[in-house]
Amino acid sequence: MGWHGYLALWCIVLGVVALVGYGRSLAGVTRGQRAVRVMGRIERVTEPRHGSSGREGIAVVVTFRDPATGQEFTVTNDGECGDRISTAWTGQEIGIRYPPGRPHAYRFTTDPNAGRSGLGWPNFAVFLIYVGLVVVASVDRGWPWALIGFGVPWTLLGATYLPGAIRDSRLRIEGLASGGPVPGRVIAVLKDVTVDEDGETATSHTPVVAFTTHDGTAVTAYRTVGLSDPARSRGRDLTIHYCPDNPVVFTPDLAAEHRSRVGEIAFAVGALLVGVAAAVAGGILIAG
Amino acid sequence: MTITPAPPSALPTRRTPLDLARGILTGAVIGSSLAALVVGTVLERVPLLVGGLAVPIAYGLLVLAAGAPERAREAAIVPRTTLAKIESLRATGGETSDVPVRFDLTVAPDGGPAYRVESTQPVNLVDLPDYKPGGIVVVQYPPHQPWAVKLVKRPTPEWEDRATAARIDSAPGPALTDERPSDGTVGGYLTLLALLLGAAGVVFAFRADLFGPEDHSDRPPSAAGPAEPGTSSTTIVSAASGTVALGPGQSLFDEGRLRRAVDSLTKGEGRKRQALTVVVQDRLLTVVFTPVGSQAPGFDLDALPYPRIPALVREARATLGVRSPQTWQLTAESLSGALTLRVGVAGADGVASLEANGHGEIVRRVPAR
Repeated sequence: MGWHGYLALWCIVLGVVALVGYGRSLAGVTRGQRAVRVMGRIERVTEPRHGSSGREGIAVVVTFRDPATGQEFTVTNDGECGDRISTAWTGQEIGIRYPPGRPHAYRFTTDPNAGRSGLGWPNFAVFLIYVGLVVVASVDRGWPWALIGFGVPWTLLGATYLPGAIRDSRLRIEGLASGGPVPGRVIAVLKDVTVDEDGETATSHTPVVAFTTHDGTAVTAYRTVGLSDPARSRGRDLTIHYCPDNPVVFTPDLAAEHRSRVGEIAFAVGALLVGVAAAVAGGILIAG
Repeated sequence: MTITPAPPSALPTRRTPLDLARGILTGAVIGSSLAALVVGTVLERVPLLVGGLAVPIAYGLLVLAAGAPERAREAAIVPRTTLAKIESLRATGGETSDVPVRFDLTVAPDGGPAYRVESTQPVNLVDLPDYKPGGIVVVQYPPHQPWAVKLVKRPTPEWEDRATAARIDSAPGPALTDERPSDGTVGGYLTLLALLLGAAGVVFAFRADLFGPEDHSDRPPSAAGPAEPGTSSTTIVSAASGTVALGPGQSLFDEGRLRRAVDSLTKGEGRKRQALTVVVQDRLLTVVFTPVGSQAPGFDLDALPYPRIPALVREARATLGVRSPQTWQLTAESLSGALTLRVGVAGADGVASLEANGHGEIVRRVPAR
C-alpha cells in the first residue's frame, strides 16, 4: 500500500468518526446535548484567605433546582467541579450542568451554552481530513498548495471573527466607561507554588479585588492582570470601572484596558493579513 | 454524637487476576508497538510504522470502551457525606503550596458503625492550622469504598453547622487505608516482563532483515553490507566502473549522501575522472568511467546537479501517473553531447519517465502508459 493508500485509510477512518459524530448530534444523543443545564444562584461568598491557593476559585455556596424532580440542591465549589469561579457576588447567577439524573455530578460553567451541540469531535475529525488532503496536494502538486490550504480557511476564520471581536471590544470599553468608577481594594493575594519536572519552582500570585457597585452589590474577584507588583499589592486602594450590566467585566485601569483591546484587534488584523498573504502567494506561485 | 465502635468491615480490593492480565496485555502492546516503530524505521517499512502507531491507539480505545460501563456505574453512585474526627495527622513532604498530609480519621457515618481510616490529602500550607488532632471535618466517600475518603474543604452551611456541634468518639483500629496493597509490585514486574517480551517478539519476527548474514555475493545490492543501519556501505571500484551499495536504513536521497558516494569512487585519483554513465537507485550507485585515453563523450561528475536530484525523483514518482511506484532509477549520460538526466519509475500502472537537463530543469515528461 503506497502512501496514497494510507491517506485514503486516514480519511476513511476519520470520515467514519465524523459521520458517527454528526449522526449522534442529529439524533440529539451526544453528551453535550443530553446534559441538564440550569442556572444556580450564589448564596454566599467566602472572602479568600491571604496566601492561600487560587486554583479552586472563590469559595461559594450555590443553590439550584433539578428540573426533573423539582428538588433544590445546595452545593459548593469543592474540588473538581468545572470552571473556576474567579468573580462572585451574592445573588449572582451561575451556569450548572450535569448528566441527566445525576445532579450530584454537577459542574459549574461560565458559559452555559458551551458544548451544547456536541459537534467538537466530528468537527475535529473533518479538520484532520482536510489537513491530510492539503498534505497530499502539497506533496503531489507542490508546496504552494500548502499556502492555499492554510491561507484560505485562516482568512475565512479571521474574517468571520474580526467583526464580532471589534464589536465586543467597543461594547466592553463603552460599558466600562458608562457606569462611573467605584473604590476598590486588594483584600488578599493568593499564592500558588508549583514544581516542574526539572525541579524548578514557580510561584504565581493572584490579587483578590473587592469592590461594591453603585447598586450595593459586593463583588469579589481575582485580578491576574493590570496590577503592578501583584505579590505586594495587598491593601492597595484601587479605582474600579465596571460594566453596570455585568460586574464580571471590570478594570482598575481604563486606559490600559483600552490599549489591551486595541492590541488584541491589531493582532487579529495581523493574523488575518497573514492568511490573506499566504493565500495570495500560493495562488501566484501556482499560476506562475 | 456518640459512636458505637465497630471493626473494619471491608478492606481495599487487591489486584485481581483480571487486573494482572490487563497489565500484562498493556505491557505487551506498549513493548511491541515501540519495537515496531523502531524496526519499521530501521527497515523503512511503512506498514510496521503504521502498525506501531495504530495498535496502541486501537488498544487504548478498546480499554476505554471496555471500562465505560464500570465508569458509568461508579459515576451514578452518589457519594456519602459524613463527619470524621482527626485522630492524628502528619505532613509527608511536598515542595509546593499544597502539601500531602496523612490523616488518621475516625469516620462516623449516619446510622452506621464508625471506623478508622488512613488517607492522604493535599492541604494548602495556609489552611494547615485548621486541621488539628481532635478536630471534626466533613468527608465524602463512595458507599462501596469506605476507605476512599476525601476531605470536603468547602462544606455547605448545613454540614459546617453539624461539624461545629458534633462530638465523635474515637473508633479502635486497625485503620482502613487508601493505599494500594504491596502486591502491586508483582503486577509491575509482570507488566515490565510483558513489555520486554513484546519488544523481543517483534525483533525476533524480523531478525532475518535486521541481523541477516553478511554475504554480499548472493544478495541484491540494496541489501549488501553490514546490517547495522545508518553507517554501512560497500564500495567496489575498478578501472572501468565503480559501485556503492548502502546498507539498510540509508538512502542516496539523504542530504549529501549521493555526493559523498560519488566522491568515494574518485578519491585518491590524481585528477577527476570523467563518467560515461551514472545510474542511481535508492541505495545503489553505479558509475561507468570513460576509458583512459578514449575520446568518448563523458562528463565531469562535479557537473551533476546534486541538490536537484531528490526533487526530480520525487517529481517523477508523484506526477507521472504511476500510483504507488515500486521502483525508480535515475540515469545521467552525455552521449548526445549535453548532460541529460532521465528518471524512470515503474509500478502497477506501468512505466513513466522524466527528462532533465544538466541544471536539473525538467525538459520532457513521458506519463504512464
